Amino acid sequence: MKWWIIGFFVLQIGFDLAHSVTAFPFVHYGMFSESFKQPDSILVYRIVADGAMLRPVDWSVYSWDMVQLPLAAAVKRQETNDFAFDKDKLRAGMAATGLPGVYNSLKFNLNNQGDFMAWYKGYLGRLLRRPVARLRVDKCWYRWKDGGMVLIGTQNWLNG
Amino acid sequence: MDRLGGGRYARDRQFLTIVYFLFFFVVFGYQWADGRWLYQVRPEFMSYNRDLSELGVILVGLPRWMIAHPWSFGLADAMLFLFPVGWLAMGRRPLLRRLLGVGFVLYLGLYLLLADIFWQIHHEPFILYLLLPLALITTRAERFHRLLDACRYYFLYVFVSAAIWKIARGAVFNGQEMSRILIVHHDDLLTACNGWTCSMYSWLIEHPAVAQLLYILGVVVEAVFVVGFFTRRYDRVLMGLAVLFVVADHLVMRIPYWTLLLGGVTLWIDGRPRERIMVVYETTHHENLPALLDLCALRFTRVVVFLKEVSFANITGSGSPASRWPNTEFVVQDADEPNRRLITRLFRFLRRERCSHLHLSTLDNNWLLFTLGLVFSPSLQVSLTVHEINDYFARRWRSLRDWTESVAKPLLHRRIKHYSFFLPAMAEYFQQQMPGATAVFLPSRFYAGPADPKGDARRFTVVLPGSIDQQRREYGSVVAVFRQWPADAPPVTLVLLGDSSGRDGQLLVLQLRSIRTPTFRLKHYEGYIDQPEYERQIRAADVLWSPLRIHKTGSRETAEVYGQTTASGLTADLLLSNTPALAPAELELPEIFQPAHLPYHHAGEAAALLQRLAGDGMHRRELRTRIDMAFEYFTPANFIAAFEALMALSQESEEGRADAIEADDHSVQ
Repeated sequence: MKWWIIGFFVLQIGFDLAHSVTAFPFVHYGMFSESFKQPDSILVYRIVADGAMLRPVDWSVYSWDMVQLPLAAAVKRQETNDFAFDKDKLRAGMAATGLPGVYNSLKFNLNNQGDFMAWYKGYLGRLLRRPVARLRVDKCWYRWKDGGMVLIGTQNWLNG
Repeated sequence: MDRLGGGRYARDRQFLTIVYFLFFFVVFGYQWADGRWLYQVRPEFMSYNRDLSELGVILVGLPRWMIAHPWSFGLADAMLFLFPVGWLAMGRRPLLRRLLGVGFVLYLGLYLLLADIFWQIHHEPFILYLLLPLALITTRAERFHRLLDACRYYFLYVFVSAAIWKIARGAVFNGQEMSRILIVHHDDLLTACNGWTCSMYSWLIEHPAVAQLLYILGVVVEAVFVVGFFTRRYDRVLMGLAVLFVVADHLVMRIPYWTLLLGGVTLWIDGRPRERIMVVYETTHHENLPALLDLCALRFTRVVVFLKEVSFANITGSGSPASRWPNTEFVVQDADEPNRRLITRLFRFLRRERCSHLHLSTLDNNWLLFTLGLVFSPSLQVSLTVHEINDYFARRWRSLRDWTESVAKPLLHRRIKHYSFFLPAMAEYFQQQMPGATAVFLPSRFYAGPADPKGDARRFTVVLPGSIDQQRREYGSVVAVFRQWPADAPPVTLVLLGDSSGRDGQLLVLQLRSIRTPTFRLKHYEGYIDQPEYERQIRAADVLWSPLRIHKTGSRETAEVYGQTTASGLTADLLLSNTPALAPAELELPEIFQPAHLPYHHAGEAAALLQRLAGDGMHRRELRTRIDMAFEYFTPANFIAAFEALMALSQESEEGRADAIEADDHSVQ
């Protein structure tokens, strides 16, 4: 029993040293540990559902997270070409361990499909407990200046 | 004996089960309110979070299959709750329970992976939700505590590694770190700043030095957990720091990290065996300690008594306490030391020395303080001598003290399950009020042996022991008996063996002094009577007289009944010699005390009994012989079993045997 426990902690420390990757249940507790640089601009999503803008103060912390997280995930998906880098590393890793055949036969499971806009409207409707007919999401860039956030640019991202 | 029944292991296991599932159902149940259950999210996209286990799950195609079959999300949520419910329901089927336990852990792990893939749950606070059930799956005490220890180390690791990350990556040394984190973390809130929290964040961003100080304080708090790797002494402090950290995290970062606090249970449950040390607390009735200390000396190699200076000086009528109980340490309360400070010292000592047993010989004040102390010492074996049973169950709400006591009592009823009483009838009555408790009869002291034979020529002596208090004793009959003491009866001396300087005492002395019978003499005391003198008077008495009011009002104005719900000092006084005692017929004394009890219904009957005793030396001697024979029962050997039950020592040895059998079984396998 004690060797299992010692083994667990050895693996935990090993994954901690690996920094950029984890293998659940071996996770990092390094949140907010990177040395932040002054951000040039900060991206904030402005969400307008049926003409009404959603504001964080009207939501609980977790609920607002649930509004925001899919947007950030969708942007990341878009920017990474549906996580192409991760898939490539996985393919290379499996090839290195002699499992390229397994990878080839299962790789179709790795790809995302679907219409984000349609899904997000339905999802937001479930959170708001009313259907959302019109949705507009803008990417807004802010900068901290003189004790407050100053809008420096806006770009429409979703509209429909 | 059931492997899961009784003892520290069972208690710890039950506590972990309650805390774990309370957290589990609240945490995962509450996710519904935020729309976080998979059936609520009904996701159509997967995210890659740089986790190898997640990549594996994605590769085998489960997330993709679930997206194609949305009903599976509801099933996944339902299974998350059905697994633990099924596990809990299989209380007495070990194999099935173990299988369900393992299934639950594996499934919870899978669910967390899916939640991260579909809506980016943060795994960090949930790892202990996977590790702690491992301790509940095992049925071996030693393995249970080892796994719990491992979880404790993991909980410490969570904080310490967070501190190391922040130091190693240089964030601590970046003077702008916290203000920049605040800008990025609260970006959406800051764009439409409204309310005091947003103003606070803005202020902190504008004052980076203050913000960074908060950050550094956070790192220091995290780093302090390293202490836990070397000692368990500060576990409760660390738990307090964990709560403080989570509260601060919620306020400053708006991260409701309280799910992490489940790990606090590993700091709370201390699985290490305690040192076999008996601690006794007694600040009021030191006269009741001798038998307890005699029994403690038989079963404990180390006994420590916390008591008042006056109690220490009077605990024994002859010789010093140190010579009578050589292995017992006495921690004496200074004359100017408040009780609360002594209680604080007591609990500090219990924690520092890891004492196994605490007996509260009297508990009549500071109930809430004791309750808090006991709640924070869950593995301490506690027993209590109850002096007034009705008061122990009574609740009052008239003053602050009433409130604190009424809040404390139900908690004490839950915490303390072992009680002792000075009368068997009290133990029986108590058991009816609290059926699950262990209630035993232990005398105040063991029989000291017969008094020296007295010549018939000396004056007949009647001793009224105890404080002079009209509420508890009825003195009218006493005055009446001696007022009518016949001139031709043997001369008599009445000794008031209690402080008579109070109002009731002065009044009684005045009435007795007015008796003009030439054969009557009065002796009385003012102030505290020291124990040697007290015991000398008892042993010199021809008869004791305890004119009790059977139905009395207790110390907190609760109705009590002598002999049933409360005991007088008479039973302790009787065991100092083989002297008979006059007491109201209504007083129910146990059979073993009956030979010493001279019951009377009224003053006339009391007078007749006294006059016969005074005039008939043969009768007195016969009576003393009978009492001497009966009281020989009061030896430690006849009460050691009751003492062991009070201290749960028999249970401990049974548990030890069960563990040994279990170990044997294991080695055979």
